[in-house]
Amino acid sequence: MKAQRGDSLNRIGTLQDDSTTVPPITVFRYHSSFSSSIKKHPVSAFFFIPSVGDRFLPNRCLMDLDKAHTLLTSKTPQFNTSSNFNQAYRQKLIENLSLDSQGRPFKIMVFRGSPKSSRKSIRFVDELRQEVAAIFEKDCKQTPYRCIPKGEKRVLDAPRLRNDYYSNIMSWGINNILAVALGPELYLWNSEDQAVHKLLQVRGGNDWPTSVTWSEDASTLAVGYMCSNLQLWDVESSKLIRSLQGHSGRIASTAWNGHILTSGSRDKSIINHDVRAANSLASCIKRHADEVCGLKWSTEGNRLASGGNENLLYIWEASKMSSSKFLHRLSDHCAAVKALAWCPYQNNVLASGGGLSDGCIKIWNTEKGICINNIETKAQICGLEWNRHHKEILSGHGYSIRENQNKLCLWRYPSMTKVGELGNHKSRIINLCQSPDGITVISAGADETLRFWDVFGPPTAGAGNSMVSDLQGLLSFRTSLLR
Amino acid sequence: MASRTVAKDIITLRGSAAIVSEFFGYAANSILYNRGVYPEESFAKVKKYGLPMLLTQDEGVKSFISNLTAQLSEWLEAGKLQRVVMVIMSKAANEVLERWNFSIETDSDVVEKGVSREKSDREIMREIQAIMRQIASSITYLPCLDEPCVFDVLAYTDTDVPVPFTWIESDPKLIANPQMVKLHSFDTKIHKVDTLVSYKNDEWDEQ
Repeated sequence: MKAQRGDSLNRIGTLQDDSTTVPPITVFRYHSSFSSSIKKHPVSAFFFIPSVGDRFLPNRCLMDLDKAHTLLTSKTPQFNTSSNFNQAYRQKLIENLSLDSQGRPFKIMVFRGSPKSSRKSIRFVDELRQEVAAIFEKDCKQTPYRCIPKGEKRVLDAPRLRNDYYSNIMSWGINNILAVALGPELYLWNSEDQAVHKLLQVRGGNDWPTSVTWSEDASTLAVGYMCSNLQLWDVESSKLIRSLQGHSGRIASTAWNGHILTSGSRDKSIINHDVRAANSLASCIKRHADEVCGLKWSTEGNRLASGGNENLLYIWEASKMSSSKFLHRLSDHCAAVKALAWCPYQNNVLASGGGLSDGCIKIWNTEKGICINNIETKAQICGLEWNRHHKEILSGHGYSIRENQNKLCLWRYPSMTKVGELGNHKSRIINLCQSPDGITVISAGADETLRFWDVFGPPTAGAGNSMVSDLQGLLSFRTSLLR
Repeated sequence: MASRTVAKDIITLRGSAAIVSEFFGYAANSILYNRGVYPEESFAKVKKYGLPMLLTQDEGVKSFISNLTAQLSEWLEAGKLQRVVMVIMSKAANEVLERWNFSIETDSDVVEKGVSREKSDREIMREIQAIMRQIASSITYLPCLDEPCVFDVLAYTDTDVPVPFTWIESDPKLIANPQMVKLHSFDTKIHKVDTLVSYKNDEWDEQ
C-alpha cells in the first residue's frame, strides 16, 4: 500500500496492509492532489482527520496513551508476584483491575438462555469435509491389525558379546553384510548366504571394539576401540585402510555422513573426520559434559544429533560444526541419551530414547527444537528404529523396574499407541539394527544372542512406497560439508 | 408548508433502548449471515433501515436472539449496559476468532431524571444503515472462517447488576494480538453505540 494520504480516504481504515479493494463508503471526497508535490492550483488543504486509523495514523481512541506512556518510561523493577498482601487488599485490587478504559468497573456475562440450534451446518463444504473424514477413518480402521511375528526368524549365537549399554557394536550395511563385535573380535555375517567371516581380533585383552558402523555405501567399515583408536577397514580385502587419531577415551558412537565420519567418545568430544584428507581432523566439538553415547546424522545429512551420558541431547548443523555452535540443546531427558533415530518420512523429526532413570521416547521437531511427543516406556531404551514401510517406531529395552524389560516395543506414529511387543531375550537388549530393505530388525542381547525379527514388513501394498524410496535414494544428492 | 413542519422526533429512554436492542438483533443476524456461521439458506430477507436485512429462520437462533435483546433492552433502560460483544469461536478448538464489540455510552442525565431528547428518526436510521453496510462489506478484509463456528454474546454491565437466570459470569474471551477495525457509530442522543471488530490475524498475512 503506497503511503499516500489520499488513499486512506477511500478505505475503511485497517491496521494491516492488504490489497483487497473495499467498496468505498463514499462519505469523504477523494482529494487527489493532496499528496502531489506539484501544486497545480491553490487547493484548500483538506485536512481530513480520519476517524479510522490507517497504518500511519493510529486511531487514538483505540489507544490507552497513559498506560502506554507509563509502560515505556517507567523504570520500576519487576517484583515477583508472590506477595504477602492480605485478602482485603487483594479483593480491592481485583475490583479495581476490572475497570474498563473509562475507569468504570464492569462485569461480564455470557448469555446461556435458550439453546441455539444444534442442527449441524448444512454447508456443502462441511458436508464434503465430513465425508472425507469418514472415509479416512474407515481406511484407518481397515488397515488391520498389524501382524506382528510371535517369534524371531533366526537366532545367531553371539558368544562373548559385551554387556555394555554404551557400545554400538552392530551395523548392517547395504551390502547385506552384518558386522558385529563380539568381545575382542569382529565378525562379518553375510545375510545372503549366512557365511561368517572373522575380520579382526584385538590382542592384548584390554582393548576391544566399542563401536562399529558401515559407511553409507558399505565400502568402508569404521571401528572404534576402547583405547580410543578409530580404524577404517576395507572389507573386500580385509585390510586396514587407515587409523584415525584424535580421541583420548573410548569411542562409543560413530556415524557416517558421506565422506565424513563423526565419532563420539568418553573424552566428551565429538570429532568430524574427513576420510579423504591426509589430515583427517575436520572439526572437534567439546560441548558434552560426559561420554557421547549416541550419534546420528539426519537422512539428508544436514543435521547431527548427539546424545550424552549427562542426559543432554544436542542438535548440530552440518555447516556450523567447526564453530561448536549447536542448533539446539535439549535437556528433557533424565538419563543418558543413547538411542537416536531420524524419521525417514518427516524431515527434521528426531526420536530419542533415555536410559534407565528416564525411559521416555521423545519425538522432537529439530527445526524449532521442541518436543512434540513423549511416551513413557518405563524401561531403559537402548535403541530406536523407524519403520520405513509403515508409520511406526520400534524401541529396544533393557533394564526396567516395571514393564517392558528386555522387550522390543512397536509404537504407531504419530499417535504413539503401542501396537505390540516382542521379546524372547533372557536379559537386556544392548543394540538394535535394521536391515537395508527395512523389513528385519536385529536385537543384540546380553544373553549372547542376536535375534532377527521380521517386524517391519510387509511393505505397503503396491510396493510403490519402497520403490519410490529407492528411487529417491538414487537421485538424491547428499549435501556434503563445505570447507 | 405548515403541515410539513418537521415533527420533532422525541426520543425517550425506553424508545432509545428499543432502538439499540433492535439494532443489535439485526446486527447479530447480519454477522451470522455474512460470516457464514449459519448456512445462507436459513436466512430470509426483510426490509429494515432501508436495506434488505437477513434474519435467521432457525427457531433456536431466533428465540436465542430475541431473549437476548429483551434482556439488553431492560439493561439499557436502566442505563446499566456498558457494552455487548458478539464472539465467534471455532467449534472444534473453541478458539476465539472474531470479536464484534458494540460499546454503549449512556447519557446518565436521562436515566436519572427521565428527560427526553430530540433527534430525527431518519438520521438515526441513516447512521445504522451505514453500520450495517460496513458489516456486510467486512467480509472483504476479515479472514475466511473455513471451519464450523459457534457464537456467543457477552454483556459488560455495571457491577451492581444481578446476574439474571439465563446468564452466567464469564471471562472476556479476548483474542491475543488482534487486528482491529473500527466501524461507524450511531447516536440516539441517549445511547451512543460504537462498533469495533477485532479478529485473529490470518496466518497468510504474516510475512
